[in-house]
Amino acid sequence: MHITRRDFFKETAGATSMLAFGSSVPAFLARSAAAMEAGQASREPVLVVIQLSGGNDGLNTVVPYQDDAYHRSRPTLRIGAEQVLKLDSSLGLHPAMPAFRKLYQEGRLSIIQGVGYPRSSRDHDAAMEDWHTGVLREGVPPGARSGWLGRAIDAACDPGKTDLRGVFVGEIKAPFSVHTERVVVPSIKSLEEWLPTGAAWSDSTRAHDSGPSSATSSGSPSLLAGVRSATANARLIQPRLIAASQAIHSQNAAAYPRFPLTENLATVAQLIRADLGIRIYFVELGGGGIGGFDTHANQAANHGALLRELAESTAAFVDDLNHDRLLDSVLVMTFSEFGRTLTESGRRGTNHGAAAPMFMIGGRVKSGLWGAHPSLTDLEEDAPKFHTDFRRVYATVLERWLNLKSEKVLAPGFAPLDGVLV
Amino acid sequence: MKPDPNDPAWAWAPFQPDAARPWDLRLAAHLYRRAAFGGTWPELQRALSEGPQATIDRLVHPTPGAADFNRLYDDYENAAATSAGYGSQAWWLRRMIESPQPLQEQVTLFWHNHFGISNIHVKDNASLCRHIHVLRQHGMGSVEALLDAVLAQPAVWICLGARDNGRRSLSESSVRILMEQYTLGPGHSSDSDVREGARALTGWIISQGELRFVPGEYDAAPKKILGQEGDFDRKALVRILTTHPATGHWLAQKLVRWFISDTAKPSDSLLAPLAKQLTGDGSTAKGVEMLLRSNLFFSAEAYRQKVRSPVELALGIIRPLEGRTGTVRLAADLARLGQELYEPPTIQGWAGGLAWINSLTTLGRAKLAEALLAESGAYEGKLDPAAVAKRHGRATNDGGRQFLVDLYLQGDLGAETIGALAAGPSATGSVDTRAADPRQIAARLASLPEFQLA
Repeated sequence: MHITRRDFFKETAGATSMLAFGSSVPAFLARSAAAMEAGQASREPVLVVIQLSGGNDGLNTVVPYQDDAYHRSRPTLRIGAEQVLKLDSSLGLHPAMPAFRKLYQEGRLSIIQGVGYPRSSRDHDAAMEDWHTGVLREGVPPGARSGWLGRAIDAACDPGKTDLRGVFVGEIKAPFSVHTERVVVPSIKSLEEWLPTGAAWSDSTRAHDSGPSSATSSGSPSLLAGVRSATANARLIQPRLIAASQAIHSQNAAAYPRFPLTENLATVAQLIRADLGIRIYFVELGGGGIGGFDTHANQAANHGALLRELAESTAAFVDDLNHDRLLDSVLVMTFSEFGRTLTESGRRGTNHGAAAPMFMIGGRVKSGLWGAHPSLTDLEEDAPKFHTDFRRVYATVLERWLNLKSEKVLAPGFAPLDGVLV
Repeated sequence: MKPDPNDPAWAWAPFQPDAARPWDLRLAAHLYRRAAFGGTWPELQRALSEGPQATIDRLVHPTPGAADFNRLYDDYENAAATSAGYGSQAWWLRRMIESPQPLQEQVTLFWHNHFGISNIHVKDNASLCRHIHVLRQHGMGSVEALLDAVLAQPAVWICLGARDNGRRSLSESSVRILMEQYTLGPGHSSDSDVREGARALTGWIISQGELRFVPGEYDAAPKKILGQEGDFDRKALVRILTTHPATGHWLAQKLVRWFISDTAKPSDSLLAPLAKQLTGDGSTAKGVEMLLRSNLFFSAEAYRQKVRSPVELALGIIRPLEGRTGTVRLAADLARLGQELYEPPTIQGWAGGLAWINSLTTLGRAKLAEALLAESGAYEGKLDPAAVAKRHGRATNDGGRQFLVDLYLQGDLGAETIGALAAGPSATGSVDTRAADPRQIAARLASLPEFQLA
C-alpha cells in the first residue's frame, strides 16, 4: 500500500487529536498538517461585524456633496465639496474619516449603498431586532427568535461537540445578533479579565486531563471526555492568549489609537491571531442602547467623533492584521438599525430614517461604491429609500465569505450581491 | 431485585444503601449538588449520619422559616426590579445561596428554563421578577395551578407574541408553543387542536401592562380539543392540557434531564411512573421527591452525568464554603459565560449539557473560580477555605488540601491529581509557594474537568 506523506500526516494527526483532544482540536493544530503540506497557512474566513448603535446618518457618512437637495435640507449640518473626502465626482466621506478613504484607495473598502428593507421600522428596538434576527417580526413569536449570526454559529458547530465559533467582545450585553439556540457565545470584555492567571491553572490540570477517574469507571464517559477535551484545548490556547493579551500593551499599543472600539478590535485581533477556530466576532460602537449615533440634536461634533473612532479603530485593526498577513482571511462589516432623515431638525440634528450605506472592509473586498446613491428627491417620509435588502448583504457574507448555506440562516430568496467580494 | 436502570420497578424503588453502593460522602455530595446547589461540610456530615431517605425528607419539606425567608427576599427582589441592571437577579442568586429550602430554588430554575420567558422581549425587570415569583409559588404544586398562574401573566404572552387574543387576532403560533413546548411535547397536537385551542384563549388582551379579559372578544362557541368537546375557555384548556398523559410524560422527561442526566434517553416505560406523579392530582414536589429517592438517582446513570450550568458552577463553589460573596458582579459574570437569569435564549430554555463548554468558556469558568476565591478583587475575598477548614477541625498542614478535595470532589480524583494540586516545582522550575494556599487549591479544584460535572 502506498502511503503519501499527506495521508500519513492526516492519519497521525487524526489519531493524536482523537486521543488528546477528543472532538475539538484547536484550529491551529488541526490545520498544521495541511499547512505544512501546502507550505502556507490556510485560515478559515473570519467575519467581524461592527454595530453602529442608534441609527447612523448615512447621508453625512457617505456624502452626496454635489446634490442640491442635500445642501438645501441641511443648512448647518451639510458637508461641502471643500471639506468632504472625495471618492468620486459626486460622493465623498465625512471629513473625520481619512482612515477610511485611505483604505478605499488601497483597495480594501467597499461601500454598499441604499441598504434597508420593506416597511422598515423607525423605532430603535424594532428596527434593531429586524437587523439582529434577519427575520421580520411578524413571522416568529419573540420567544422563538434567534439572531442571524447566532443561527450561523449554531450551523457552524457540530452538535454534541465543544466547538467555539462565535464571540462577542465588548462592555455591553451581547446584542441579539449573536443569540444562539444551541451553543454558548462567550461575551468577553478583555482577555486580561477573562483568563485565569496562567501557570498555576494549567499545571494543575495537565497531569489530570487524560488520567483515569472513578467518575468514568461506572457511567458513560462522554460528558467527562467532552469537558476534558475542552480543558486540554483551553490549556493549549491559554499561553497563546496570554502572550496575545500582553502584546496589546507593548509593541502594538502605539499603533492603536485609544478608543473603546479600538480596544475591542484589538482583542478581536488577538483572538484571530491565536487561531481558535472562531469564525464570527461581534463588536459595537455607540453604547448599545439609545444614544451613540442617535443624533437628534447638535449632531455635527458627536457624529464626527463617532465616525473618527470607527474609521481609525478599524484602520488600526486592518494594519495590525495585515502586518501578520491575516487580512485576507478577515472581513469587517458595519451596520446600523436605520439611516436618518434628509432634513435637518431645528436642533441641528436629524431624525430616524431608513436606507443607509454599509461598509465592507478586508483583504478580499472589491473596493468601490456598490449600487447607486439613493435619490434625495424621491424620499419616503423624508428619508432615502432602500434599493438593496440588508438580507442580501447577509446572504453575501454567509455564502460568499463564510461558506454557509444562507437558507440555514435566512428565508430563501435573498440573492448574494455580485461584485462586493473578490 | 436485580439492579437495572431500565427496569422501572428497580429504577424508581427508593434507594437503600448496600455493599455495592454504600452511603458515603460521594453520594451525599451528589444529592446535595443536584438538590441544593452543593452542600456544606456540616450538611454532608449530617447526611452521612442520618442516611439518604432522612436527608431527602429534610431537603423536600419546607423548614418552618422558609416562608418568612421567601417573603423577605420577594421584597428585596421587587425593590431591586424597579431599576435597570442585575439587581433582582443578584437577589435571586443570593436567595439560591442562602435559602433554607434550596431545592425550591432548583425547581424554580427548572421552570424558568422550561417556560423560557426572557426579558430580552419583555423589557421590564419587574414583570420578570413577578414571573419568577409565580414559578416559585406554584413550582412545587400541581402543574395545572402552575400553568393557570403562568398564563395569567402578561410577560408570557409578550414572549409568545400574543398580546391580543381577540376574536379576529387568534395567535396559533403561541398555542403551538403552549402545546408543544409547555405541556404535551412535540407531536401530540394537530393543526385543528391548535386552532381550536386558540379560540379557547380568546378574550385575553394586554392593555396598559395588564392582562385583561374582554368578554366581547371571547369566542364562546363550542370547541373540540384533543378529542374533547365543550365551550372551553382558558382555564378549561389548561385543565385539558395538564391532565393529558402526554404532558406528564414530557415533563417527566425534562425533569429526568434536569435532575438525573444530560445524556440519558429514558424509555417510555421508565418514564411512566414519574409521568403519573406529574399529571392530574399529582404535584411537582411528589415527582421531584420520587426522583431524588430513587435507585436511578443514585446510580451510575446519574452520577456526574450533568454539566454544571454557570449558575450551578458558581453556587457549587460558593455554597460549600458557606460564604456571602457579592452577587451583582456574579450575575454579570454568569451572563458572560452564557447564563443570564431572566434571559434564557429562547422559549426552549438553555441548551445545557456540553453546550456550556468550549475552550473559551472553560477558561472563563476557571477565571470565575479564581476570582471568587481570590483574597481580594471583584469578590473581595469573602470565601475563605482556610477558615472553613479550621471551623470544622480539618485545618491540617497540607493547606487544607484533603479537606477541600473531600468537600468539592470527594473520591473523584486520582492520587496523582491530588498530588499535583500541591505542585512542587512549577513549569519554570521554581517552587510555587502559592500552591499550598487553600484559596488557590480550591480554585484549582473548581477548574478541574470533574468539577464541571454535577
